Amino acid sequence: MRPILLSGHERALTQVKYNSDGDIIFSVSKDHVVCAWFSHNGERLGTYHGHQGALWTVDVDPTSTLLATGGADNTLRLWEVKSGKLLKTWEFATSIKRAEFSADGRQLLGVTEKRSGHLSTIVVYEINPDPEAEQTDEQSLRIVCDESKATVAGFSYLAHYIIAGHEDGSVSQYDAKSGELLYNNSEAHEPDMQVTDLQWSPDRTYFITASKDKTAKIFAADSLEVLKTYTTDTPLNSAAITPVKDYVILGGGQAAMDVTTTSARQGKFEARFYHKVFQEEIGRVRGHFGPLNYVAVHPQGTGYCSGSEDGYVRVHHFDKPYFDFMYEVEREHAQANL
Amino acid sequence: QDLAKKNTANRQVVEARRRALQEWLAWRESMVEMLKDEGAEIELNGGHLQTEYDGEVEEIE
Repeated sequence: MRPILLSGHERALTQVKYNSDGDIIFSVSKDHVVCAWFSHNGERLGTYHGHQGALWTVDVDPTSTLLATGGADNTLRLWEVKSGKLLKTWEFATSIKRAEFSADGRQLLGVTEKRSGHLSTIVVYEINPDPEAEQTDEQSLRIVCDESKATVAGFSYLAHYIIAGHEDGSVSQYDAKSGELLYNNSEAHEPDMQVTDLQWSPDRTYFITASKDKTAKIFAADSLEVLKTYTTDTPLNSAAITPVKDYVILGGGQAAMDVTTTSARQGKFEARFYHKVFQEEIGRVRGHFGPLNYVAVHPQGTGYCSGSEDGYVRVHHFDKPYFDFMYEVEREHAQANL
Repeated sequence: QDLAKKNTANRQVVEARRRALQEWLAWRESMVEMLKDEGAEIELNGGHLQTEYDGEVEEIE
């Protein structure tokens, strides 16, 4: 599993995303620039210039036509993927920490940061998928998070719910039409241990969260019940669910200023693979020399990439042993279904 | 006797895994049924939009 190193960013990576075909990777960093790369060889396809501050988030629509980005310049922006043209800028009073399209690409949500005088919010815009069309200024929904600020959020299956993870370790479920808070799972993660990531299963009926409490958990989108827990020995920044094989990939590591020694070994800058159903660790991938800020999985399950505090994206294509590995009970089940 | 103990422990681990797998697969099946009832086409297609040029639909999980 020899990785491809994407070097083009000058500062820490904050988020990386595959498009739905998996042939392109989008990356954002604290260096203000959005990059697009070919996932098979790591060649840079293009850059998107315009943001005036650190970037926190990126997402691409399901047809790879529109790209959404957000960052510390208090803007959420929409770009045309192939031309790099800036199509729309929505301005806010605070940073945009997260942007995510619904499964059909017809809605875009943004999570805004909390700052003195401004509560954290989740805003939603209806998106016209035509890159030539005028995009709306009107928010179709605005959820104010007055209990604890939202750090991550996304749309469930059929955009029935908006699920958000919060600074206080809770996970909440909102009606995505009315914005009403339906349920808050206050025991999702340890109290005041921030939820750092929330990624969906392919059908968006369940999702995985990562937290500073050193665990990742899988929840059912409709009940918010915890289905699986993955326990590690390091604060987590990201967690992803792999299609094809039943694994999850976790990334994190203690930031340099939080550890007493500076050795990478101590920092535990590894991607960790766990079996999704059995909750046991099955492997690690080394390489980064800073915490992993984000891990993303190829939508066809053929590889993954990680973006790190060290300024690099590492792209991995899975080898045969990855696909061949099976627990005895999985083999039993597969044979019974032949 | 130690060997017998070890075998029992192993059997218990395997039993627990078997149960976990069955529970998971049963829950997944119930979710797929729910998505079918709701007519969730994109979700049932593994999150991918179905477009005209898609010759074949790949089934993922």
